[in-house]
Amino acid sequence: VSDTKETTERYLELPGGRVHVLGGGTGEPVLFLHAAGGSGRWLEFHERLAEDFEVIAPDHPGFGGTDEFPEVEAMDDLVYHYLDVIDALGLDRPHVVGASFGGWIAAELAVAAPDKIGSLVLLGAAGLRLPEHPVTDLFILKPPQLAEALFHDPANVAAFLSVEPDIEAVLAAYRESTALARFGWAPFLANPKLERRLRRITAPAQVVWAAEDRLIPIAHGHRYAEKIPGARFTAVANCGHAMYQERPDEFAQITTDFLAGVRR
Amino acid sequence: MRFVFFHLMPYPYLPDDFDEYPSISLTFPNKHFDRDLGTKLYHRYLDELEHAEVAGFDGLAVNEHHQSAYGLMPSPNIMAAALSRRTERARIMVLGNAIGIRGNPLRVAEEIAMLDHLTDGRLTSGFVRGIGWEYFAHSINPTRSRARFNEAHDLIIKAWTSDEMFQWIGDNYEYRYVNLWPRPLQQPHPPIYIPGAGSSETFRFVAEHGYTFMSVYTPVRVIKRWFDSFREISAEAGNPADPSAPGTMQHLALNVSGLDELLAIRDRIRDRGINVFGPLDHGLCHSIYFAGPENLALEVATSEQPIDARAWIDPEVVGLLGIDDEQLQAFKEPESFEGRGGTVPNPPIDWSKPQLNMPRELLEGVMSMPDEQVTAMLSEPIPPVAVEPQDTAS
Repeated sequence: VSDTKETTERYLELPGGRVHVLGGGTGEPVLFLHAAGGSGRWLEFHERLAEDFEVIAPDHPGFGGTDEFPEVEAMDDLVYHYLDVIDALGLDRPHVVGASFGGWIAAELAVAAPDKIGSLVLLGAAGLRLPEHPVTDLFILKPPQLAEALFHDPANVAAFLSVEPDIEAVLAAYRESTALARFGWAPFLANPKLERRLRRITAPAQVVWAAEDRLIPIAHGHRYAEKIPGARFTAVANCGHAMYQERPDEFAQITTDFLAGVRR
Repeated sequence: MRFVFFHLMPYPYLPDDFDEYPSISLTFPNKHFDRDLGTKLYHRYLDELEHAEVAGFDGLAVNEHHQSAYGLMPSPNIMAAALSRRTERARIMVLGNAIGIRGNPLRVAEEIAMLDHLTDGRLTSGFVRGIGWEYFAHSINPTRSRARFNEAHDLIIKAWTSDEMFQWIGDNYEYRYVNLWPRPLQQPHPPIYIPGAGSSETFRFVAEHGYTFMSVYTPVRVIKRWFDSFREISAEAGNPADPSAPGTMQHLALNVSGLDELLAIRDRIRDRGINVFGPLDHGLCHSIYFAGPENLALEVATSEQPIDARAWIDPEVVGLLGIDDEQLQAFKEPESFEGRGGTVPNPPIDWSKPQLNMPRELLEGVMSMPDEQVTAMLSEPIPPVAVEPQDTAS
């Protein structure tokens, strides 16, 4: 977590437990849904978005500082959870930006409650099942393999592996892995029904993908853009799946340019 | 002591570079499985298991692994079936079925019930949670493993023992009609073994159900740590009906004043509908035996004469137990002990020593408090009914 003066940290009380929320900036609200490995982090990417928007970044159930919410067992529960979060925060049709696992949640939210969101940005989103373009099984990857799958730049791989995690970090990763398995063990990080439902999305949508994504192949991005009515598609070159860590400027720029053009 | 011949049925014909693969399981290419050698292996391994009975083994054990050169038994029940009619005496031990991985645990209940009949009641039924790779192999969410195992177990036991059709609605399994045909031969069901790998949740499960815990292929020092932990948890869970050590009976003997009182006690217990046998004349005493609550073995005994230790301490048993002369003397004539006016404090809690069957936190609290505080906090000297003092003179 950055110690930027703009950043705020708070807890949202819901009937099922507490949600840890990071926030920063002013302007139209952007609900940012983090990737499986991105809970509780306020990175350069968030900072860039917060220059133009009010960025609200909650941790998912079972992730980061948010409670377990054991009744949130599957993706449909998670959608209801985020409808609760939007209401509890008093947000009126926020922009929703989701990365990877968070992108899957964002897409499901946009399908289930199209009138609840102002716009949709998917960054390397999970959620589609394309048997001919399988998603890498991150549950079985050892740290070096995971680093290879996440980053395009070998320097980033080396940096990722140079830090020996302490026991707290190992336990936190185990907890989040367990939480992710609730939603994505099988079907693997996908809802087979999602693709045919994407036509229900009415919000303006932008799909952004890392050109060198080795975790979720770029074909998933093309499919999202093809099936979401009116969606725009942008690829970012020389970048791996950990897109907003590897190329924060480009991803923030594409996102803010798109959001700035959305008429709410 | 009983001996079990446990076959893992590995595939030994690996390529020279096998250890350059990340694992011998899950992803090890099945092109390395030679079909003809495989056929020969199954017959060889079953021949070995059958021969183990001839060689005198008491049990023949098989187990379950998936998608692995480590073990060629995705279904241990098929191997048990193959052995059932080719053997006569040894127990057929399925150690065990990975019930949480099976999509349909009722199928396991059915197959084990069939095997119990095929073996004429020689079947031992093990349940395992399975190693990590099995969950990848059968695409079962490993974070649900414990919950699935526990629920599958409860369902299987109920299916084996219920005389009435029932419905099962759980978090993991739902059946509108459970009505097992066949029912198992052994009553209430085949003995249950739980192979484990040291998790305290499994120890607690085994202790609470009074099953047999087992482990294999583990260094002795690790096994010792596991069994120490198992004993600690068993003591907390409370299992008076279980043997305190393999081959021994844990029981409590109460002394009465003579044979008349012994028979009066027998009458009294039998009058309450409880079975009692005896008296048996042990020479040193006469004893009757019966089961108390939770099936704890109880003995009531009486001695006409003081027991003569010189005659009744069996040198053979002393030798077997490894009791030396000094220890024996201490048992015969315990060193006298002068009290110190109640000033000896509680020693620190040592879980290898006998401990009262109380919740751990409570036990630690009570045993670490000053005695005066325990007396003050936990005493209840006031009787529940307030009465006038009785005039004992009249």
